[in-house]
Amino acid sequence: MSNAALATRSHTAITPVPASLGAGFRALLRWSLAATGAMLPLIIVIQALLAAGIILGFGLLIPNITAENALFLSSGAPTILLLTIGLAIVPQGVSSARASGAFDYQRALPVPRTMLLVVDLVVWTMIAIPGVAVGLLIAWLRFDLNFAFNWPLLIFASLLVTIAGTSVGYAIAVSMRPMLAQLISQVLVFVVLLFSPIAFPASQLPFWFQKLHEVLPIQPAADLMRAGIASDSYSFNGRDLIVLIIWTVLGLVITSRALVRRK
Amino acid sequence: MDNDDVLRITDLTRRFGKVVANNEVSLRVRPGEIVGLLGHNGAGKTTLVSQITGLLKPDAGDIQVGKIDAVRDPRAARRHVAVQPQEQAPIDGLTPRTAMEVAGRIRGLSVAKARATAIELAEELDIGPWLDQRALPEGGGLSGGIRRLTGFAMAIAAPTPLLILDEPTNDIDASRRRLLWQALRRRGDQGIGVLLVTHNVAEAERVVDELVIMDHGQVVATGTPAQLTGAQHTEMRLELQLPSLGGESFLKDMSFPTMRQVHSGRRRLITIAEDSAAEAIRWATAQRTTGNIEGFSLAPVTLEDSYLSLVSPTEAQNSTNTESRKNPQEFADV
Repeated sequence: MSNAALATRSHTAITPVPASLGAGFRALLRWSLAATGAMLPLIIVIQALLAAGIILGFGLLIPNITAENALFLSSGAPTILLLTIGLAIVPQGVSSARASGAFDYQRALPVPRTMLLVVDLVVWTMIAIPGVAVGLLIAWLRFDLNFAFNWPLLIFASLLVTIAGTSVGYAIAVSMRPMLAQLISQVLVFVVLLFSPIAFPASQLPFWFQKLHEVLPIQPAADLMRAGIASDSYSFNGRDLIVLIIWTVLGLVITSRALVRRK
Repeated sequence: MDNDDVLRITDLTRRFGKVVANNEVSLRVRPGEIVGLLGHNGAGKTTLVSQITGLLKPDAGDIQVGKIDAVRDPRAARRHVAVQPQEQAPIDGLTPRTAMEVAGRIRGLSVAKARATAIELAEELDIGPWLDQRALPEGGGLSGGIRRLTGFAMAIAAPTPLLILDEPTNDIDASRRRLLWQALRRRGDQGIGVLLVTHNVAEAERVVDELVIMDHGQVVATGTPAQLTGAQHTEMRLELQLPSLGGESFLKDMSFPTMRQVHSGRRRLITIAEDSAAEAIRWATAQRTTGNIEGFSLAPVTLEDSYLSLVSPTEAQNSTNTESRKNPQEFADV
């Protein structure tokens, strides 16, 4: 259109109306729940199968399992399920969102980019938490155990472990190429399942590996959860809490930077 | 320069290693104006858009979105820009109705207004029958065209001063394409400034007010479609169909002046002055009789002819090998 033609056309200036933080959050939550929530039934089935695999499979490896061993195994299963979601399923979802352009689409929306992370944490927590009940149900069916729940601790630990796992998984997915992130997340599942003192005591591991696990988030997560599930048999120490919180903060900082940063 | 520009880009430069994806690009979009950004794949269009939306940071230059410095304050700029990217909008798990409502809510519409807008947009774009059909992963549930229209509707769910659309008609059938262009024109008439990124010259010509043509990271031409088409249609295009490649030496013996020549497979597009038309017809008829050409046509030049002459190798620039002008920047459109 020529300058003259434009000059004769008068336009009312369009002023965008910013959405309130609450409205933006609710809209994004609705979006994310619809997109990711559709996976919820499938994920519960996967968690049930994984829990059955851990509890029945490890049970087969230990002949004449004692009540003490059964409790240790059973109280570790929910941690494995929560960390599997955070360290394996979350990175795969984020990597595929990066590859498809969905990640950048949402980053171009007029909402604080850190809100995208908060919404995802909420949705993945909602998806992961049923795993605790599923794991304990299968353990109870197999071993007929009596758990001594410390409910406030169990709820707190479940939330913290989920957020820690999801934050670290998210950080892996946003800081590496999608293919590499998917590969690492799959390796991490094996580490959590087979090489971490969750389903067996740390004393079974070589000394150097025990020391390594003291600073990784996996054992602290398991200890914290165990103290909430069988509070009469296990306890946690402040160090577990500190290590978990440090990993959570690290994951959140790396992820937030990747969301906000312009390349 | 007007102070009410909704987008003003000045000398924008962005490099990827040694490749200059945007080289001192300048353009502007005024309220109510639809500006077409034309260019081949790899011309630097997507890099430009990514800098406006705060996904990439420029190496040099300015981006003003309204009164906002988008380089310094990308978050504030995002409130003034709605984007439909070239990739499909991520609506898996959502119905078009929910997707439009969510997009409206994110841009500040009330719940009631967002609901009403979704219904209005579904009518405007004729996607009513799919309004409550859920998009499923792997492209299931909704066709590519309905997904694309939903993405367009999400971008226009609430009015923003600047609207950026990247190939919005991909996958869309002809009748709904027309609806989309009409909807876009209406948004322009409401005062929204539109930056329309495309390589579909024929479609762009009908809808845009201004054109910016990019090639290898640089702006090579700007103007209205009429200006770019050339001397207000006083030029003509002689199109020759050759029987085979090679053996084109007869083209050197044309009995009338030519302005430019463009290769396109076995076609030669030759631009001539209007007053050479009669002589050109005589010459071409003689060439057809001798078998040098299979056929010819003569018509006013189109925007596509002008576009191709700006971004493609011409006879004068490259008489032997049309492939030799390929440039590493073709891979820079990230």
